[in-house]
Amino acid sequence: MSFLGSVAGTLLAFNDPLVPTSGQGTFWMPESASTQAPFVDHVFDFITVLSYFFQIVITIVLVWFAIRYRKRKGQVNFEDDGPVHNTALELTWTLVPLFLVVGIFYVGMAGFLDLRRAPSSAYEVSVTAQKWSWSFDHPEYGVNQAGVVTVPVGRPVEFLMTSADVLHSCFVPAFRVKQDIIPGRYSRLWFEATKPGVYQLYCTEYCGTDHSKMLALVEVLPEDQFQETMGKLATEYMDLPEQDLPTYALDRLYNRCSSCHSLDGSTAVGPSFKGLWDRTANGETVFKDGRRLSDMIGPGKEFPEPEDYIRDSILVPQSHIVQNYAGAMPSFQGQLKERQVLALVLMMKYLDRMVDDQGNRIESPDLNELDPGMGEVEASAPEIGDENEFDAVATAGKGG
Amino acid sequence: MSQLDINPAHGHDHDHHDHLPHQGHHWRDSKQQFEAGKLGMWLFLSTEILLFGGLFVAYAVWRANHPEIFEYGSQFLDTFWGGLNTCVLLLSSMTMAMAVTYSARGQMKAVAICLVLTLFGAGGFMVIKYIEYNHKIHEGLLPGMYFYEKPEASYMWLPLDEQGREAEAAAALSAEEQSAAFAAQVQLESEMPPAPANAEIWTKSPAATGPEGFTDSKLKVETSELRAFLPDSVIGKVENSGPLLKFAEDTSPNKELHLAHPLQDPERPVNAQKFFSIYFMMTGLHGIHVIVGGIVITWLLILTLRGRFSYDYYTPIDLGGLYWHIVDVIWIFLFPLFYLI
Amino acid sequence: MLLRPQEKVADMTTLEAGTHERPKLVEDNYLTHTTGLKSWLLTVDHKRIGLMYLVSVLGAFFMGGVFALLVRTQLLTPEGTIMGQDQYNQAFTLHGAIMVFLVIIPSVPASLGNFILPIMLGAKDVAFPRLNLFSYYLWIIGALFFVMAMFTGGLDTGWTFYTPYSTDTNSAMGGVIPALTGAFILGFASIFTGMNFLVTIHRLRPPGMTWFRMPLFPWSIYATSVIQVLATPVLGITLALLVVERAFGIGIFNPALGGDPVLYQHFFWFYSHPAVYIMILPAMGVISELISVHSHRHIFGYSFIAWSSIAIAVFSFLVWGHHMFTSGQSGLVSVIFSAITFSVAIPSAVKIFNWLATMYKGTISWNTPMLYGMGFLFIFTIGGLTGLHLGTLATDVHLHDTYFVVAHFHYVMMGSALLAFIGGIHHWWPKMTGKMYNENAGRFAWFLVFVGFNVTFLSQFMLGSQGMPRRYATYPEDAGFQIYHMISTYGSYVMGLGFVVTAIYLVASLFSGRKAPANPWGGRSLEWQCASPPPWDNFAEQPVVGDCYDFTVLEWSEKEQGYVWRSDIPHPDGSPAAESEGSH
Ligand code: HEA
Ligand code: HEA
Ligand code: CUA
Ligand SMILES: [Cu+2]
Repeated sequence: MSFLGSVAGTLLAFNDPLVPTSGQGTFWMPESASTQAPFVDHVFDFITVLSYFFQIVITIVLVWFAIRYRKRKGQVNFEDDGPVHNTALELTWTLVPLFLVVGIFYVGMAGFLDLRRAPSSAYEVSVTAQKWSWSFDHPEYGVNQAGVVTVPVGRPVEFLMTSADVLHSCFVPAFRVKQDIIPGRYSRLWFEATKPGVYQLYCTEYCGTDHSKMLALVEVLPEDQFQETMGKLATEYMDLPEQDLPTYALDRLYNRCSSCHSLDGSTAVGPSFKGLWDRTANGETVFKDGRRLSDMIGPGKEFPEPEDYIRDSILVPQSHIVQNYAGAMPSFQGQLKERQVLALVLMMKYLDRMVDDQGNRIESPDLNELDPGMGEVEASAPEIGDENEFDAVATAGKGG
Repeated sequence: MSQLDINPAHGHDHDHHDHLPHQGHHWRDSKQQFEAGKLGMWLFLSTEILLFGGLFVAYAVWRANHPEIFEYGSQFLDTFWGGLNTCVLLLSSMTMAMAVTYSARGQMKAVAICLVLTLFGAGGFMVIKYIEYNHKIHEGLLPGMYFYEKPEASYMWLPLDEQGREAEAAAALSAEEQSAAFAAQVQLESEMPPAPANAEIWTKSPAATGPEGFTDSKLKVETSELRAFLPDSVIGKVENSGPLLKFAEDTSPNKELHLAHPLQDPERPVNAQKFFSIYFMMTGLHGIHVIVGGIVITWLLILTLRGRFSYDYYTPIDLGGLYWHIVDVIWIFLFPLFYLI
Repeated sequence: MLLRPQEKVADMTTLEAGTHERPKLVEDNYLTHTTGLKSWLLTVDHKRIGLMYLVSVLGAFFMGGVFALLVRTQLLTPEGTIMGQDQYNQAFTLHGAIMVFLVIIPSVPASLGNFILPIMLGAKDVAFPRLNLFSYYLWIIGALFFVMAMFTGGLDTGWTFYTPYSTDTNSAMGGVIPALTGAFILGFASIFTGMNFLVTIHRLRPPGMTWFRMPLFPWSIYATSVIQVLATPVLGITLALLVVERAFGIGIFNPALGGDPVLYQHFFWFYSHPAVYIMILPAMGVISELISVHSHRHIFGYSFIAWSSIAIAVFSFLVWGHHMFTSGQSGLVSVIFSAITFSVAIPSAVKIFNWLATMYKGTISWNTPMLYGMGFLFIFTIGGLTGLHLGTLATDVHLHDTYFVVAHFHYVMMGSALLAFIGGIHHWWPKMTGKMYNENAGRFAWFLVFVGFNVTFLSQFMLGSQGMPRRYATYPEDAGFQIYHMISTYGSYVMGLGFVVTAIYLVASLFSGRKAPANPWGGRSLEWQCASPPPWDNFAEQPVVGDCYDFTVLEWSEKEQGYVWRSDIPHPDGSPAAESEGSH
């Protein structure tokens, strides 16, 4: 195998003349950037060489016979003195392919089984596929990424994947890995990147309208840069100016709320975020025990400002359950940093500037002139939770 | 069987042989024709078995994954009616076999009588099936999402008496009870398909949408709330006296005790509706076959009465009999799978 | 349609009287025997039904082909040229579904098989002629449902109808239920055709024709029919479950209701993998005829070829899981499926080599059917060998759901099965229509199709192994895909042109083609022993069966412009040697 592999390698490993941009790819295979890739390429080349062999032999024989035994001009009648069968010959061309395919099967299987099991030390990323976007959570750092996932080089990485709607499939050609993603189940895919770079990730299971746009990038970084990036992502909200906090919350935090709270006004497990700010500020909300929010907001009351009520709903949701809802929301105390809670409050407040009526994100919302004094909430709120930046637990709970 | 024409009437007269009237022009003799017909019928029956085979596999997979649903669901089937139907079908299979035997002996009157009896069997089966189905539909034990639509349809649901109401009011105060209610509701919700987070409201023309309600995120949410299905009297109770979803059983001696509609039973296994889905699918497909069988037997009966068959030509009766036996055999499998185990 | 007024039977009395010495001038054939629309629509004659199938299937092929050209045109540029996302998704779905369910599955068996098989067996008709007509109308109804699907909201699920996408009313378009119903009905059309052929082959062979003296075309039809009868009902019930799932939400396949979407894939491929051999086996039967007849050589290794058809049919039931290597099925299951997948390659290899050996020492005519036959050997080898890349576990993980798969199955379905069908049409065209097509035009069109085909799909192998996913309306600009897509698209235009030329000269031959002799190529199987076009009842008397691949007993007759029984050998049916060619 390794001999054949190297033969194949020399036969096949010339650069793709048609694709000037892919420097490292070969004619058949794209650039190879994982520990699995060389093996897959060897198997591929092995079969390809065999195929070349049979294809060339068959074609030559075909053309040769077609020309050699062609019907000449004027020839109308035929002698038939060729053999009608030849058991030895026929057994040969039954058994030779048989041995060959047993070989191919074995090679392909051995690698497949090895490659299925992720090493236990793998760095884990939870992946959620959804029509038509990817979301990547790094539980170790409490970081969420969308559209691009950053992973370290030279360390096994395991994707723990699930889907929020239909089937999807995660495919990174440069790593030669692919795995379908099934709603209601977890599927795993692992790889170990061998060189830093940015690689394309595709959805390869048909999933509807924008299937072909369900792309993402895998950014492979050296270990130190990786740590640095994770650290930055985990704390980026600390350095953000306040007018960027609402968008930060919508892009990075809302995905934890989205299974229960919609943006378009439709009711789900919990109330929609659409109009929530107005309902709160006007005190329209009615609770299970019949009290109205307007009775609780105001100086000296339970919630001095409307913002306090929202903050409370995130951190101690069970204390006030809105009428008609089951109260299934878990507390996010300890999972969210104070500034992230603030970001969420601000997100609610300026939601209608960031999303349209259907709940779709507006590209570049105008948040430059936020109301003055928006920092007050922070001031009035007591500090809860410790300040260790890295212990945020990223298990997105069900909101209520 | 009607699709298998043993008797193609070619509209021309090129025949060089003296064919019997029932023999198609492309056969050498009636033996060849008979054998071909029989082979064709067996092939057809094997496709029928494969057709049901798919459903049996589905049943097996479902049952293996969720035995509790099947144990729970089968309580709602009435073994009496099922058993009666089994007997009816077995008897009709017997009369069908007798019809074949008599036709081989040329006793065409007896054949006609047997066919009539078989037809009664088919009719009887369908009547009993109708009674059963009607029951289920009445009680709201429906397949798929329709199961969630009318729990109140259960005629066994009876209002609480005075005492029960007081007990409930007291219980309402207990926080435990409250959580039970929410548990029931949460369970109900968990059984509904979640709307994808970015689901759009379905705006296509109604013809194209399939059933409304369970995927449209708006509608879904409404139906997903337990209260939406329950009659006002029940909602009132839920609000006033807490979530006691138990219903009072009418204890007056001349009324039977009934099971609750599963939706009113917080103890039901998740996705209890699946039992009724597969029950209706399998027995429904079987029922369609019984109806087709009935049509075939009627057709055979007409031909018999017209004197088309004799001891040396009764292929259609033979083949029709085969078909009827298969329909019977399939039921023999369905009955224990749904009613007994 | 094919009637020419002057050929209508004028003198019925001659006909009635004439059996052996039917006057050559009065042409009573199946086309002219009865007239009027009704005589076609209600016919139970296998030849007319075959012809109606042929016309309908070709119609569907052109429809599917137009969708294919739309798909190709869209992919000229990374951001797409002519369609939006949803339209593209509909285009490839309808293309795939039409090509599979309406075209390639019924192509050879239902049209050529219906026409030729009974004649090859010396029978007057198939076993159940009315069932035959019934299945044709089922096909029509199924096709109408597909058309309906296009107008009731469209169909965008891919031809595989994977759940939960296809059962979610929010996702998939509204045409799903009509399309599923259509496919269900087409399934039954296919089952009934298969049943009919099985019984015909079992019961209607003439006395001297034992199983191993039967031509290879019936053998392959036999193997196909076994698959049709045993696999299609499972598809039927699967589609029915899908309809119920979508309409009632029963939750068998929907994970949101505790169902299992992977179960659906098992159900679907349990049918659809054997279905790919439903497509290729009849084509292989056609090729066996084309290669031997046009090489004028006895087929090499008859029994190996016959048995390999049966072997393929048997193995085909055991390999469906190779479509699901990345679906999350267990590793062990994948390994088993991979192993059995390779076993199918062996009988295919046997056939390829036997056909090559048949050409050895032959007298090979370079006419259109033979060109299609030789093209098949080249193309099927590529298609089959790339199947090995896909059957291998490690490589399939990379190649699954990329254009490599697309290229593979076009090589086997389009390049092999469909082109064999086209070759078969040319081979039996004189028999079916009584007219010769223009041979040079045929060669030219074959060249366009062959070259166009390879340009279109060879480039897709590289596209796929480089990572281009299938079912993509747009693709990234910087991945280097565009150049391959452009080559592929231009190739498809050349191929389309080839088909247009084919359509033109074939239709033209109906009006101005030379009259076909009974045996233009020198074939030995029974269909070449009755007139072209065949008379209404094929054979007035049971024909005598010989070795259907022994071509040395024939000789060219200048008078007939076709082949006749050699004058120096007595004809087996005892009639005088020289004029026995149309032996009825
Ligand atoms: C006519 C149809 C047809 C035929 C004949 C075949 C033939 C084969 N197919 Fe193909 N296949 C399809 C139609 C067909 N296929 C379709 C439609 C799909 C995709 C469906 C979809 O997803 O939409 C598919 C997909 C498909 C897959 C799944 C890919 C994926 O989705 O990941 C696989 C995997 O194993 C596969 C394998 C094979 C093999 C091993 C053969 C073998 O039978 C080939 C055997 C032939 C040869 C091997 C060549 C001849 C032999 C020689 C020249 C001798 C030398 C040989 C050896 C050394 C062994 N096919
Ligand atoms: C027998 C089956 C069959 C046949 C014959 C074909 C034939 C062709 N197919 Fe098909 N194809 C499938 C079965 C088939 N296909 C299937 C099953 C799929 C998968 C679908 C899915 O993913 O669900 C698929 C998918 C598929 C794709 C992938 C789409 C995607 O994944 O995004 C592509 C892309 O190039 C393609 C191209 C073609 C082309 C160019 C032809 C050509 O060979 C067509 C040649 C025919 C013609 C060209 C018709 C001639 C008519 C004319 C020329 C009329 C001309 C009129 C004018 C020019 C006005 N096909
Ligand atoms: Cu997600 Cu395709
Ligand atoms: Cu397959």
